[in-house]
Amino acid sequence: MKKLRFIVFLFLSLPTLLTAQEGVEYDNILKLKVGTGYQLDTYLSPMGYSGWQYGIGNEWWQPFRQDSKLGKEGKLAHWAHVGRVEVVGYHRYINRAYSNLLTGVQLAAGWGAFYEWRWFDDRLRVFVGPYLDVSFCVRELARNVNKIVSFDVATDAMAMGGISWSFYGKKTSYRLNYLIRTNLVGFDYLPEYWESYYEIWKGVPGQARCSGHWNHNTVKHELTMDMQFPHSSWRLGAEHEFVNYGTDNLHFVRNQFSILLACRWKYRIHANARL
Amino acid sequence: MKLRNTILYCLIACSLFTGCRSREEMAFSMDPVKNIEALWQIIDTKYCYVEEKGINWQAIHDEYITKAALLKKNNQVALFDLCASMLDSLRDGHVNLYSAFDLSYNTAWYDTFPANYDAKLQALYLHDYRIAGSLYYCAIDSGHIGYLYYSSFSNSFGAANLAWVFKAFADCKGLIIDVRNNGGGSIENAYLLAAPFFTENQTIGYWQHKTGTGHTDFSTLEPMTLDASLSLYKWDKPVVVLCNRRSYSATNLFVSMMRYADHSTIVGGISGGGGGMPMSYELPCGWMVRFSSVRMYDKTKRDIEAGIAPDILVTMQSNDKDDIIEKAIKVIHNKNQ
Repeated sequence: MKKLRFIVFLFLSLPTLLTAQEGVEYDNILKLKVGTGYQLDTYLSPMGYSGWQYGIGNEWWQPFRQDSKLGKEGKLAHWAHVGRVEVVGYHRYINRAYSNLLTGVQLAAGWGAFYEWRWFDDRLRVFVGPYLDVSFCVRELARNVNKIVSFDVATDAMAMGGISWSFYGKKTSYRLNYLIRTNLVGFDYLPEYWESYYEIWKGVPGQARCSGHWNHNTVKHELTMDMQFPHSSWRLGAEHEFVNYGTDNLHFVRNQFSILLACRWKYRIHANARL
Repeated sequence: MKLRNTILYCLIACSLFTGCRSREEMAFSMDPVKNIEALWQIIDTKYCYVEEKGINWQAIHDEYITKAALLKKNNQVALFDLCASMLDSLRDGHVNLYSAFDLSYNTAWYDTFPANYDAKLQALYLHDYRIAGSLYYCAIDSGHIGYLYYSSFSNSFGAANLAWVFKAFADCKGLIIDVRNNGGGSIENAYLLAAPFFTENQTIGYWQHKTGTGHTDFSTLEPMTLDASLSLYKWDKPVVVLCNRRSYSATNLFVSMMRYADHSTIVGGISGGGGGMPMSYELPCGWMVRFSSVRMYDKTKRDIEAGIAPDILVTMQSNDKDDIIEKAIKVIHNKNQ
């Protein structure tokens, strides 16, 4: 139990450890998500698999420099950055013949910087910027022979853009957010289609290549609503991820739709704080 | 109104996006022609012995597509039998078709060979045995010779198990490793069992991957290196490996490796072959086909798919003793003279 507590503590404090600066305010979002998805991995099977996935992730937003002049006056633009880590598990994805099951885990982390414009007393915000995404996905088809496991690693330099609109209820304030990211260029590592799974782990080289829109398409977008209550702040929303890439012999597709629930909180690292 | 329309269009676009299926996906189908075609394609592009076995695969296509067209849809048993019949033409023990109701397999590779194994006769030697991991062992010939029986390379054991076996046989003059009727399993176990008989790392064979869709699209030969340090214990006395036609796949590879071990002799019948490392793929109906995908060669770059000929060919004929074990005992005594 103590170990679990320690891990939870570490997880929650990860953004602080990574971005600690003095006198800077952080917006942290811890989210849980559940949804359905579709996967095609022709290394493992020519058939598509679909099922449920579950995920947990954390993201944090922070201005590069806390500028008191920005305040409520709005209309001023500033730079900020965002980081995120995420783990998604695929559970009992099944093929269309109902004859085989796929399981897997996807790890993703990223960091981006964006330039933000504000209008209408800061109610409308638009931001764009670059984002660097690293993801690792491992999948298993236990029925297969000598091709039980497949994996891929992708590093993408992405373009990120978003818009948010704040409005107020009687006791609650709301903010509607839309965020989209798409890949520009990157680097992939895939298995060779003729490799057995255990050769992959024995160091037989796979295919490493530069990626871009000509051979790798990634679109991730999310539509969320933040709700600010007197003592807490929550986020509800939907997330969609579409990843499609391939080589001459292999083709991978990941198409997922998730509903997410997140808690948000802001905190400030004060001057002279010791971490 | 404009805003409402915009939101509506956005939602429709999103639903189209999430609902889309890849054009590369093989669609589910129980249609006999589509399944026979897919099965033929898988073997045509991924099976590694089409050229080697001199099979006219195009003629097989024409024959079976015609037969499939005559099948009634949703008659899964008839479709399975047709697919299995097509796969039988490959005469390969590594080729199987898996469905929820049946498993196809080919027996032509051992049917016409002598069995060279009788469990009842073996029991005359293998009694009062111990089991280390999945290795059955006991001393025979009045304690002068160690006898180790390994029934499947799918059953795991560790270096510590081997160490106990060798400790038990420390005073023996030689060792018999019986891998008859061992249908194979993990190559890693084959390496581990062979390691005590090699004093240094060495190339004990080669493999060749199928790198393209053509029947002759192969990689260059890549060495398979045995790591002698897998076993800290080294056996420097005579060792005899017993094999028969049903010593297949990883067992065939083990026999191939042991030919290059110091003080080793292979006794029995020709091994079963199965030199193609198998992989699997799925058909549109969800059945799975297993097939040879990676060719393996011995140290002299000879393909081991057809089997390994023993150093001393022995065919079992007696009803009251195991002729192959008896011959192995004589070989060890001769080597110690």
